[in-house]
Amino acid sequence: MATFTGYLRARSDDELVALLRLRPDLAAPSPSTLSSLAVRATSRSSLDRALASVDAGVLQVLEAVVALDESGQVSAAQVVRAVAGHDDAASVAAVEASLRSAQERALVFPEDTAPDAALHPSPGLPEALGPYPAGLAPVDHHRAVHPPTDPDVVRALLDDAPAGARQVLDALTWGPPVGLSPSPGSPSATAVTWLLRHGLLVPGDNRHVLLPRAVALTLRGGRTHRRPATAPPLPSDAVVRPEALVAAESAAAGERAARLVARLTRSWEQSPPPVLRAGGLGVRELKRTASLLELDEGEAAFVVELAGAAGFVADDGEEVPSFVPTVAVDDWWGQDVAERWAALARTWLTSPRAAWLVGTRDERSALRAALDPELVRAWAPRLRATVLGTLADAGRGVVLTAPQVLEVLRWRTPRSVPPTSAVEAVLLEAGRLGVLGAGALSDAGRALVAGDDAAAALAAALPAAVDEVLLQGDLTGIVPGRPSAALEDLLDRTARVESRGGAVTVRFTADSVRAALDAGATADALLAELASHARGPVPQPLDYLVRDAARRHGRLRAGAAASYLRADDPALLAGLVDDPRFADLGLVALAPTVLVAQGSTRELVEALREAGLAPVAEGPDGQVLHLTPEVRRVGRRGAAAARRRAADAAAVVGPQEALPADRLQALVPRLRRADEDRSAPAPTPVTPGRQAKATTAGTADPAGALVLLREAAAERAPVWVELVGPQGLTEKRLLRPVLVEGGRVRAVDPAREAELTIAVHRIASVTREEESP
Amino acid sequence: MTNGPLIVQSDKTLLLEVDHDQAEACRRAIAPFAELERAPEHVHTYRLTPLGLWNARAAGHDAEQVVDVLLEYSRYPVPHALLVDVADTMSRYGRLQLIQDPVHGLVLHSLDPAVLAEVIRSRRTAGLLGTQLDDTDVIVHPSERGHLKQVLLKLGWPAEDLAGYVDGEAHAIALEQDGWHLRPYQQQAVDGFWHGGSGVVVLPCGAGKTIVGAASMARSSTTTLILVTNTVSARQWRDELVKRTTLTEDEIGEYSGARKEIRPVTIATYQVLTTRRKGVYTHLELLDARDWGLVVYDEVHLLPAPIFRMTADLQARRRLGLTATLVREDGREDEVFSLIGPKRFDAPWKDIEAQGYIAPADCVEVRLTLPDAERMAYATAEPEDKYRLAATARGKNKVVEHLVAQHTDDQVLVIGQYLDQLHELAEHLDADLITGETRVSERQRLFDAFRNGEIHKLVVSKVANFSIDLPEASVAIQVSGSFGSRQEEAQRLGRIMRPKSDGKTAHFYTVVARDTVDQDFAAHRQRFLAEQGYAYTIVDAEDLLADRGELERD
Repeated sequence: MATFTGYLRARSDDELVALLRLRPDLAAPSPSTLSSLAVRATSRSSLDRALASVDAGVLQVLEAVVALDESGQVSAAQVVRAVAGHDDAASVAAVEASLRSAQERALVFPEDTAPDAALHPSPGLPEALGPYPAGLAPVDHHRAVHPPTDPDVVRALLDDAPAGARQVLDALTWGPPVGLSPSPGSPSATAVTWLLRHGLLVPGDNRHVLLPRAVALTLRGGRTHRRPATAPPLPSDAVVRPEALVAAESAAAGERAARLVARLTRSWEQSPPPVLRAGGLGVRELKRTASLLELDEGEAAFVVELAGAAGFVADDGEEVPSFVPTVAVDDWWGQDVAERWAALARTWLTSPRAAWLVGTRDERSALRAALDPELVRAWAPRLRATVLGTLADAGRGVVLTAPQVLEVLRWRTPRSVPPTSAVEAVLLEAGRLGVLGAGALSDAGRALVAGDDAAAALAAALPAAVDEVLLQGDLTGIVPGRPSAALEDLLDRTARVESRGGAVTVRFTADSVRAALDAGATADALLAELASHARGPVPQPLDYLVRDAARRHGRLRAGAAASYLRADDPALLAGLVDDPRFADLGLVALAPTVLVAQGSTRELVEALREAGLAPVAEGPDGQVLHLTPEVRRVGRRGAAAARRRAADAAAVVGPQEALPADRLQALVPRLRRADEDRSAPAPTPVTPGRQAKATTAGTADPAGALVLLREAAAERAPVWVELVGPQGLTEKRLLRPVLVEGGRVRAVDPAREAELTIAVHRIASVTREEESP
Repeated sequence: MTNGPLIVQSDKTLLLEVDHDQAEACRRAIAPFAELERAPEHVHTYRLTPLGLWNARAAGHDAEQVVDVLLEYSRYPVPHALLVDVADTMSRYGRLQLIQDPVHGLVLHSLDPAVLAEVIRSRRTAGLLGTQLDDTDVIVHPSERGHLKQVLLKLGWPAEDLAGYVDGEAHAIALEQDGWHLRPYQQQAVDGFWHGGSGVVVLPCGAGKTIVGAASMARSSTTTLILVTNTVSARQWRDELVKRTTLTEDEIGEYSGARKEIRPVTIATYQVLTTRRKGVYTHLELLDARDWGLVVYDEVHLLPAPIFRMTADLQARRRLGLTATLVREDGREDEVFSLIGPKRFDAPWKDIEAQGYIAPADCVEVRLTLPDAERMAYATAEPEDKYRLAATARGKNKVVEHLVAQHTDDQVLVIGQYLDQLHELAEHLDADLITGETRVSERQRLFDAFRNGEIHKLVVSKVANFSIDLPEASVAIQVSGSFGSRQEEAQRLGRIMRPKSDGKTAHFYTVVARDTVDQDFAAHRQRFLAEQGYAYTIVDAEDLLADRGELERD
C-alpha cells in the first residue's frame, strides 16, 4: 500500500508549492525534508488548521473518504456517488471539484496514479474528523457479531421486525449513530433487543447502543450524505444600495473616523489620561473621552483602540504612566484625509485588537478596559478578512446582515464559524470606519481588502473640497460641502462646530473667538482671514463680536510670583527695585505701591532685615505674622509611618520569643548533622567554580546563597558571585550586593564601576571574598 | 449627485441655501414637515423633529413624500439612517385612532394589535382605558380623551383623533367684508384649521390673527369661547369682532376680573380662569356654561399649565390655537400638539413681510459703556441684583432721549421692565406712562390717543407685550426686558410690525449695558431676531452720541 510520504515525494514541485500555499503552517518554519513535511502535515494541529479552512463541500468529501475507507477500498467514483448520488451532473461536478481540492491539500491521497485508484485519508485525518464521520459509527473489527450488509437481507429482516424497530433505526440512520438503551420493560425495549439480536444494532457502553456503519450505509442507500453541500445563494431579501449612496456614506464615515482619531490625539497630547495598573484606559477616562469626542462609549472605545492599534498613542512608561501620542502621529497628521484614512483602515484590517469587547466582563467578571493589553484575539484579522471577503463576493452595493454573513461562513468554513457577536462587531466597526457605506462594501473598502490603493479609492469618493464659508448675521457660518484643509483649520480655531454632514455649520461665540485670540491671532488678522474665505462681506454683528472680544482680551494679566512687598510709600519701594543687594530676589514693580519677588516671603523678609529695613510678614487676611525661625516637623501620617517602620524593624532583628529549651536542644544536633552531610567531599570532581562550598563562607544552595547575599549587603562586603549568562555559560564576578529584594539582587561591580541587577535564579553560587580561589 | 439647494445633515437639520434657483420650490416642499429653526440671510436651517413629522402626517403627507422631497432637492446623498428614521417616526402616527363607536362610545382603535398591547401594558395609561373589546379596540373613558392623547404622545404613539366634535349650540356669525378682504393666507389658515378639525395657526404678529379667529367663528357659526391673555386684549377682540362680523356688542360677553358676562360669544382671560380660592378653580363652570361649538386660544404659546389641564377636558369641542411662535420657554410644545392639536398653518414672517402685509423692520442694538462708578456698583452687586442694575443704568436715559429725538415724525414706544426706570424715562421724555397700575380706562384713552396721533410717544411696561393693537407705532425702544425671553422679543417686535400707511420701515432699538448680563441676555434675544431673518447691527452708544457731543461721563 502506498504511503503518505511516498505520495508527497511523487508530487511535482508545483503541486508541493500549491500545497504549501494552501496550508501555510506547513511552510513556516520551513521543514528540512519531505519526510518532516509529511510528519508535520499529518500532525493533529496542522490537520485541524487545514480542516478549519475548508468549505462544507470538501468536508463532506473527507468524511466520505474516511467513512468508506474503513469499509474497504474506495475509489474517487465511489466517493462522488456516495456524496452526490447519481443523477445531478452539477452536483457531481461540484463534488469532484471538492475532491480535487481535498487532494491538493493532501488531506486524501490516491493509492497510485490510475484514475480508479483507491483513495486514502491522510494519516491522522480520521482522528481529526472525530469518532462519527458523516454520522457513522466506527467500525469495530474485533466484534464477534458481523452485522448483515446485504440490503436484501436487511430488508427481509426488517419485514419480520417487531413494532417500533423501524422507528429506532430511522432515528439513528443519519446520525449520530448512538442511541440510549431503553430501560427494560419499556415499549421500545423489545424492538431494541430484537435489533441487537439480529445485529442491526450493537451494544455500545452499558447504557448505549450503536448503529453499525455498514447497516447505516445500507439504510442510507449507499450514500454518506443526504445531499451534497453547495454554496448558499445570495439571500433573496438582501438590500442593494445605489453606488453613489454607498460611496458618499463610506467617504463621510471614513473622513469622520480620521477626524476623530486626530481629535483624540490632539486632546491627549495636552491632557494625557493615566494608564490603569493593569494597562488599560479607565472607565472614567473613557467616559471623558467619549464626551470630548461627542460619541457614545462604544464608539469612543473603538476610536481609542484604533489610535492605539495604529501606534498613535502609547503608554509613556513614566513613573505615573499615561497614554501619550507617539511621534508616529506627527507624520500621520501631515498626510491628506484619504491617506490618513487608508493608514487607519489598514491598521484595523490587520490588527488583532478586539475593540468590541471593551466594556464587557471577562471570566473573572472584571470590566475589560480600552487599550488593555489582554484585548488581543489572534483570529480577529482573519475574521475581518473573511467577513469583508464575503461582502465583496456578494456583489456591489449588497448589504449583508450578520446572520446572512454567518450563513455564508457556515458553508465556507463549517469547522470554524465565528460567534455572531464578533461578526456583528466587525460589520459595525467596518461601518464606523467607512469600509462599509450604508452597510455595503465601498470601493475604498474593496481596494482595502484587495490590497490596492485604498487611499485613492477613498479620495475619489470624497466630495470636492469647498473653500468658501457663508457667514451670517446670527453669528453662524455654513460651509456648503466638505471644507478644504485651510478652511477647516480656520474654523477649528475660531468657531464651534454645531452640525456636520454634507455641510458644516459653525457658530462664532465670544469664547470661540477668545480661544483664537489666546492662540495669538489679532482681530484684524482674524477678520481678514474670515473675509478671504467668505462669500460676501463679514456681517456686522460678527465683525463687532470679534472686535469686542479683542477689546476685552488681555485686560486681566496673570503671572507667577512667590511673594510680594507692599508699602504706602512709593518712594521706599522705588529704591528697592534697582538695589543690587536684592538682585537675587527678582523684584518687579507691578504698581507704585506693590512689588513682587521670585523668592519666598522668608527670604524676602530676611534679606530686607539684613539690609537694615524693618519689614513684617502678613497673612492672606492682612494680619501681621511673626516669622519665627523655621522649625521642621514630619506630619502625623509621617510619624505613624515612622512608628510602623520601627516596629517592623524590631520584628525582624529584635529579640523574638525564644523557642522552648527542649525544642532548641533537639534542633541543634539536627542542624549540625545536615551541615556535616553537606560538607562531605563531593563524590565526583566538579569544576572548581561550580563547587558547592559547604561552609558559611560560600554556597550553591539557593536559600544559602540568598542568606549570604543578604549578609554581604548588610556588611557592605564584596562576594564572588557565579552568574549564568543568557547563553548558559557561567562567569564569576566579584560584586558588592546592595539590596536583595523581590527575587532580584542589586549589586555594585567595583571592577567595572557599574551597578547591576541580577535575577536570583541566575545565580549559581555565592562565595565570600576571602574564601575564593 | 444633484445640484440641489438642500443639504441634509445627519443630525436631522436641513440647510437650505436661499440664493439658489430652486430654493423657493424647495422651501414650499419641506415646509409641511420640517420646523424652521432659523432664517438668517444665506442659509435657512430647518429641523426634522418627531412633532414636525407627525404634524405632516396629520396634514395628510406620508413618509414616501417626505423622503422623495429630501432626495429630490438634496445636493449630496441623503444619509440612509435618516431616511429610515423618518419613515419609522412617521409610521408611528395614526396607528392608534380615537374613534366614536356607535355601541361603545369613545374607543381607542389600533391598526396594529402589538401597539395596542404595548400601550395597554404601559403604566402611564392605567386608569385611562376601560374594557378591552378585542385585539384592536379598547374603550376610553370620555373624560380622559385629552389626557390619553397626552400620554400616547409621550409613549411615542400619537393617536389620530377621529372621534369628531360636538356640534355645539348654533349661533349665526358672518364676516362683514366691507372695505377689507380676507387675505389669501388668512383664508388658507382658516381652511387648514377647519379641515383638520382642531389645531394651531402660526402667524407673525401683525399678520391678522384676530381676523383668522373671526373667520373661523363665521365658518363654525356656533357659540364660541375665546381665551385671551388680559383684559385690554379682551376689549380689542370685542372691538375687532364687532367691526369685522355681524356680531353686535350685546352678543359678546366679557368674563374677566371686572365683569362676569356669559353671552353666545364670551371672551375670558387666562387670569380669571386660573384664579383659585382655597385651592379650587372658582370659574371652571364657565367652560360648561354653554354648549360651546368652538374654543379659541389666543397666544397659545403663553397658555398657562392649569389651562392645559382644563383643556384636556374640552376634547370634544373644536379648538383653535393662535400664536406667533410655537416656541415655548417652558418646552411644552408637545402638550400644545396633543391637547390643542397639530399645527394647521404656518407662514414665515419674511414671506408675509415680502407680500406687504407686515412692515419690514430694522433692528439695532445700542451698546452703552457704563461709567466707572456704575461698573463698580455692578461688579460688587449680588448676583440677583445684577440684571436690574445693568438694565436700569442711568446712561440709557440719554440714549433713549437721543433716539426719540431722531424719530420726531414717528410714533415711538419705549418699552421696559422696571417701573422706577420707566417713571424716570417718562419724566425725562415728557411722555405718558402705562404700567400694570394704570386703570383700564386710562390705558384705553392713552392707546386711543396714540393711535390717533394725538401723542406720538408712549412709555409702556410689559403690559404692552401682548395683544395690544397699535398699528401706527413704527419705532420701539427696548430698555429692559424679562431676561433672555425670545418670546417677549417676538411680541415686542410685533408691536411695530403692522404695515404703515406710508410703507415706512419700522425701527427696533435695544439699549444694553456693555459687559454685563444685560448684554448676554440681549445676545440671546437677538439670536432670535437674526434667526427670524432680521439683520441687526450693533452700534456703540458713544458713536451714536458723539456727533452731538452729548457724551459725558459722570
